[in-house]
Amino acid sequence: MCAMRITGYADLFGVNPGKTIQFYVNCDGPKDYNVEIVKMINGDTNPRGPGHIEEHIDAACNSSYPGRKQIIHSGSYGVLADNPHLQTESFTMQCWIWPTTPKTHPQYWKHGAQGLMAKWCDGKGYGLFINEDGCLELRVNGDKVTTGAPIRDHAWHFVAASYDADSGEAVLYHEPQIQYALDPDIPPVSTKVSGAPKHTPNVPFTVAAYTDRLDDGPLAQSSRPAGIVMGGHYNGKLDSPRLCRRALSRQDIETMKLGAQPGLTERRHSGPTGPLSEAIVGSWDFSDGIDTIGGSDRGPYVYDLDIVNCPTRAMTGHNFSGHNFDWKHAQKEYGAIHFHDDDVDDARWAVDFVWEVPADQRSAFYAAKITSSEGDEDFIPFWVVPEVGKEQSKIAVMVPTISYMAYANEHLANNAGGAELLVYRVPIMQDQNMFLSEHREYGGSIYDTHTDGSGLCLSSRLRPILSIRPKYDHFLMQAPWQYPADLHLICWLEQMGYEYDCITDEDVNYDGLARLENYNVVITGSHPEHNSGPQLDALHNYTQQGGRLMYMGADAWYWIHSYHPAYEHLGRGIVTEMRRCESGIRTWRADPGEYYHQGTGELGGMWRYRGRYLHSVAGTGMSSEGFDISSYYSRTYESNDPRVEWAFEGIDYDEKLGNFGFVGGGAAGTELDIVDTMLGSPPHTLVVATSAGRHTEAYLLVMEDFGFNQQGLDGTQHPRVRSDIAYHETPNGGACFAFSSIAFCGSLPWNNGDNNISKLVGNVLNRFMADGPLPPPPADAYIHRGRADYDPPMNKASK
Amino acid sequence: MIRIPKKGSPERDRIIAEHKACMESMKGVAGCSVLRCGEQGDTTEVSGGIHEDFVLNRVLLRMRAAMPANGKRKLVVICTEPDKSWRIGRLAGVRGVPPEFVNDTVYDNEQDPQHDIFVMRLDEMEEEDGFPEHFREGWKRRDDNWTVT
Repeated sequence: MCAMRITGYADLFGVNPGKTIQFYVNCDGPKDYNVEIVKMINGDTNPRGPGHIEEHIDAACNSSYPGRKQIIHSGSYGVLADNPHLQTESFTMQCWIWPTTPKTHPQYWKHGAQGLMAKWCDGKGYGLFINEDGCLELRVNGDKVTTGAPIRDHAWHFVAASYDADSGEAVLYHEPQIQYALDPDIPPVSTKVSGAPKHTPNVPFTVAAYTDRLDDGPLAQSSRPAGIVMGGHYNGKLDSPRLCRRALSRQDIETMKLGAQPGLTERRHSGPTGPLSEAIVGSWDFSDGIDTIGGSDRGPYVYDLDIVNCPTRAMTGHNFSGHNFDWKHAQKEYGAIHFHDDDVDDARWAVDFVWEVPADQRSAFYAAKITSSEGDEDFIPFWVVPEVGKEQSKIAVMVPTISYMAYANEHLANNAGGAELLVYRVPIMQDQNMFLSEHREYGGSIYDTHTDGSGLCLSSRLRPILSIRPKYDHFLMQAPWQYPADLHLICWLEQMGYEYDCITDEDVNYDGLARLENYNVVITGSHPEHNSGPQLDALHNYTQQGGRLMYMGADAWYWIHSYHPAYEHLGRGIVTEMRRCESGIRTWRADPGEYYHQGTGELGGMWRYRGRYLHSVAGTGMSSEGFDISSYYSRTYESNDPRVEWAFEGIDYDEKLGNFGFVGGGAAGTELDIVDTMLGSPPHTLVVATSAGRHTEAYLLVMEDFGFNQQGLDGTQHPRVRSDIAYHETPNGGACFAFSSIAFCGSLPWNNGDNNISKLVGNVLNRFMADGPLPPPPADAYIHRGRADYDPPMNKASK
Repeated sequence: MIRIPKKGSPERDRIIAEHKACMESMKGVAGCSVLRCGEQGDTTEVSGGIHEDFVLNRVLLRMRAAMPANGKRKLVVICTEPDKSWRIGRLAGVRGVPPEFVNDTVYDNEQDPQHDIFVMRLDEMEEEDGFPEHFREGWKRRDDNWTVT
């Protein structure tokens, strides 16, 4: 059904002039394809607007290239290269498991047996599996031993299997950790199998998968290790795997749960007992190196595993006691890794073409436009970002790339039947959604649940991200969202003839204040919801020292993100992590004890619950959301204050502000921010316009703003369901203007930029981009103000 | 639980007509709600629809939340060419399995399939559901599809 035969990505989001950017393309069908570098100006195909606009760029890489198929080998696992110790005749394998999909639907995308621990491929070797029927299974070559007892999902089990090559006896143990009254016993299964494991050279030892095949073909090169394709990806947690080279008794297996225990001066072996230390091949401790992509072996051979495709770590283990939620302080209770069959950290495709960006290239939104003679088309977006100190403009557009990564390849329209309640209509799916619905290997967004239903908290940019595309309407709004919505802003800047630089979240995160301080004004995207701590620090430092911030959207500065340090060797900002903790708008909810990031160890969730109120960044913070239609603003009397009246030059007091637009049909819509001096808005903030009272029943107050469920929370009833356009000064001639609605930018290019939203934003931008500090406010504006007690005349009257 | 109005009932005819009028008025809006625009394609003033017809409002909420009867999955709109053509499909309910088209009708706007799905759901959904006599084991295992993801 789906026509997307060309997909691709680049190695960078932001590339400096004079540097090289690499592109990776999957061309599944057409013999060749054409590449054209284009400057992106508008990506909205709405017939009431200017339509898709791109500009041809003369680039050395513009050419025809041979097409080739490239695929993503998704699914996380641990892998250890073949070695003589692994080629054992007798063995014991053991681990704890908390499977999430022990038995899958026959149509499920990776239906079949799942590997827990294995050195097994194509009927040779040994391995512990969950079989297609959801039962524990030992395989010795082609022989299969199973308990016949389906494994309960979302519960801890201890599992083990031993095989004695001398006697030919295999024993399989499945010991559920929770026994309900009517659960049948699962006795160990003891049986003879036909012969010792045969070993295929180069078949590795794997955890959470098994080796499907050794493959010299080109499509296997993007697997890790290259040429070894995994199958049977396991969904669920796996804790404390042990591999020994003889058949252990049940008592020895019990002792072996302790694992290798090196480190004591008086000890002469690696433990847990002398005889057992001689049996250990590997004794892995996933609580060690939680912030890495290695699986630490505490045993004598230090057979550390490579952990591929970034599964979720810092997950509670089988022994979690609930007394400490921070893995750094109770590390031994965090020995589990949650593996998923759709994890992906890097598509690992081969490079198809590169562009050496000229040293004088203007900063802007760009894309590699890829087309075929058969009508195929894809865009690979990127940004040319000037080096710090070589800024090209007074204006910087801060492209919310962390938020793009958070929304990368979202599947909500497909997975979430209940999403209709959110959008208040039937979702509309586009080509990108259709492609992703059957290509789960492209990974999901941080809004999605994994294919096993667990929360998705890590997102990589080294894969085709089909939601960062022009000509893409998002189901949430039936209109552009994130990348294409931010192009509305770019389209307007171009219409008005402004010169602007583009910088990304990544740049601000890594370069801090230096990335911002040479600009007179920084403009945000429409929905910079996801941010790292260093980025927020830089924004505060910038506005505090006189920088000007134009906050063009809503629901920003909301979620805590961190870039995973284990991927720094591949570049900046490769994998971002976020946990959905105790509150906030959450499409999934982290389990108890799983609030801390695996990468940086910091507490995840909302910045608000780390004591960093979103309203403190630009003056307003999220109050509500609804996704049916948008509305408009009216000015308040505070817009006549001499501190801000300049913003409304050329706009009548009674004008309807933004009762038009390409997102919901108005400037005030989708997600809305308000001023709240109790939540971080500076007490001197002016509300210059508001959409109060105009929203539909689909708009609901955010859950972090109320303590218990009650009626009266929607846009037809609740006073906080509104958007406030707000202004406040910062020290040293700086200021923030908050436009407080995600739909806002969708009104800017309306009527070719001839409209009152365009006028307002133009007035603000012209003032903010001027050199030097802003003119000081009138002397009588300097007065003492409280937070709750911010309106002395009113409070005096009530007292 | 609110009752799904029966075929042939005046109530059913009324909410279908109101829904249709809302969808007609939303043509041209980059978004959609079951409300009447004061002028077609202009959300400055909206009225009617879910804000004024209580039965329509409640029936729509129930439809959005619930699964159709007979084990069928949810209906969706599939855009087959941006801003040009749309069709109606049905979700597979299994991860990795794409939705399938339910018929050959091709629409030239976003709103008409919304209305047709509304009518299809009136036909597909049971008049009453959600009372003790409708209990099934799935109630214990979140098979009601209410969760967002």
